[in-house]
Amino acid sequence: MSPAKLSLVSSAQSGHPDMEPRSVELEGFSAYYGKNCIISDVSLDLPKKGVTCLVGPSGTGKSTILRWLNRINEDVENASFSGSIKVLGQDVISGYPDVTELRRRVGMVFQQPCVFPCSIYDNMLMGLRHKKLSKLEARTVVEQGLKSASLWDEVSNRLEERADTLSLGQQQRLCLARALVLNPDMLLLDEPTASIDPVSSRAIEDLVISLGRKISVIMVTHNIGQAKRISDHVVFVCDGKVVEQGSRAHMFSTRCSAKTKTYITEEFCDC
Amino acid sequence: MSDRVNIRHIKEQCFAMMLRASLFICVSILIFLLGSIFIKGIGAISLEFIFTPSMEFGKSGGVFYQILGSLLMTLVAGLLVLPLAVGTALFQYGLNTRNGIGYLLEQSLYALNAIPSITYGIFGLIFFVNILNTGISWFVGSVILAIMMLPTTTLSTYQAMLAIPKIYHENAAALGLNKGQVIRRVTLPQSFHGIVTGLLIGLARAIGETAPIMFIATAFSGVSVPQSLVEPVSTLPTHILELAQQSTDPQALQNAWGASLILVLLVSALSLLALFARTRLAPRRPS
Repeated sequence: MSPAKLSLVSSAQSGHPDMEPRSVELEGFSAYYGKNCIISDVSLDLPKKGVTCLVGPSGTGKSTILRWLNRINEDVENASFSGSIKVLGQDVISGYPDVTELRRRVGMVFQQPCVFPCSIYDNMLMGLRHKKLSKLEARTVVEQGLKSASLWDEVSNRLEERADTLSLGQQQRLCLARALVLNPDMLLLDEPTASIDPVSSRAIEDLVISLGRKISVIMVTHNIGQAKRISDHVVFVCDGKVVEQGSRAHMFSTRCSAKTKTYITEEFCDC
Repeated sequence: MSDRVNIRHIKEQCFAMMLRASLFICVSILIFLLGSIFIKGIGAISLEFIFTPSMEFGKSGGVFYQILGSLLMTLVAGLLVLPLAVGTALFQYGLNTRNGIGYLLEQSLYALNAIPSITYGIFGLIFFVNILNTGISWFVGSVILAIMMLPTTTLSTYQAMLAIPKIYHENAAALGLNKGQVIRRVTLPQSFHGIVTGLLIGLARAIGETAPIMFIATAFSGVSVPQSLVEPVSTLPTHILELAQQSTDPQALQNAWGASLILVLLVSALSLLALFARTRLAPRRPS
């Protein structure tokens, strides 16, 4: 039996909840690797703006949900899904016949910082090669992107240096900046602070909070404290199912379900 | 208990000794071969020997045209094989070896690598010289050498592509790069060291080959710089073969050792370049 559709778009946010544009709409979504079902029959609506944190134990399918939203999982052997995924109001398959258009609108940053073995400047322009930018335009775009990721002051005098000479925290912010220069309508973050130091992690959190005011940011995190600091909405995923979701105030209050409370307080789930 | 420990210790010592003996035998053979060629060949080497054409079927003069012929034929073979090998490696990489066609292609390349070089020579003779009527042509020799180099260069390129962490492709795809752009911006730059290494190893093998080019591309004497694609050249390996047949003549024998030393130096230079490419051009990757 399909569960009732979970919606994070509250009527308090909009006078007409059904008309409220959504960044993501999942309907009966199941995801598979070969014959293994990783996510089972999930239905979910996410708002067009704000930071949504997907929390839950490892291996429960949070990243899999994220990776289908920009069809990165399409390139993974044996990965498939059933049900409906709508991203920014359009079906993720039929609405985006050219997958590159979807990926330009839906940016993604992964857990491990991954800069390309070229200069910081070239890394920033990697996703903009299809546009014929003049040198001045390119320079402006790079500067704006790096400023938006709070990295400009640290690298403005070394743009031609190789990006892999940066610290891991700086590399991760560069990855974020590289995604931001495409002006995405939505940003997917798959544990972006998992492999970096606390100071860099805080810088990224601040950036995510400010981005959430303009676009929809969906972030997978294991760090409950982080979810509490930055999220507007929280979705608790366990054992391939959405156990509970709601606003930050709801999920971190005594009103949440016993399972959520156990996970939030003890970081343990018995699903 | 202690007897068992002692026996294990003795077994370990025996095994380590066997490993050292294997290493010693391999290195000794190499040193003996290279040492013999160096000692016997160094006497013949001079600027005059390198820059003078051979005369009297190699008994006198130098090996200038042989060096030129070897370099010309192998370098053109390298140019011919490069796009083919990179294309094949990309095709194979895209197919994935678990796919039936990808597996078949990979096994075919290994099989091609194991074919005796004389077979390539016979194929070239029948197909190019007899059927296509090209005559003895250095360019046909380059084509045959390119076919011989194809497995080494392709497999080295393919292995370098396989070693690229998946996150590079995912990051590039997540930035909206299409497949062609991912190949151009990620796959090729990241496997560049493998392409160069494979090419240099292929060239090092090709420059020393005699059998595949003997019937189709080379003449033993009377050649200079080719003026067209369908002229023969003389190469170092075929020149050494020619001189070895006259080994009763001490001067011819001395020149054969000199030519061998030059060939060994050329092969060593290519092998060292390949080693350099593998270590220095390999991209730094996230740990």
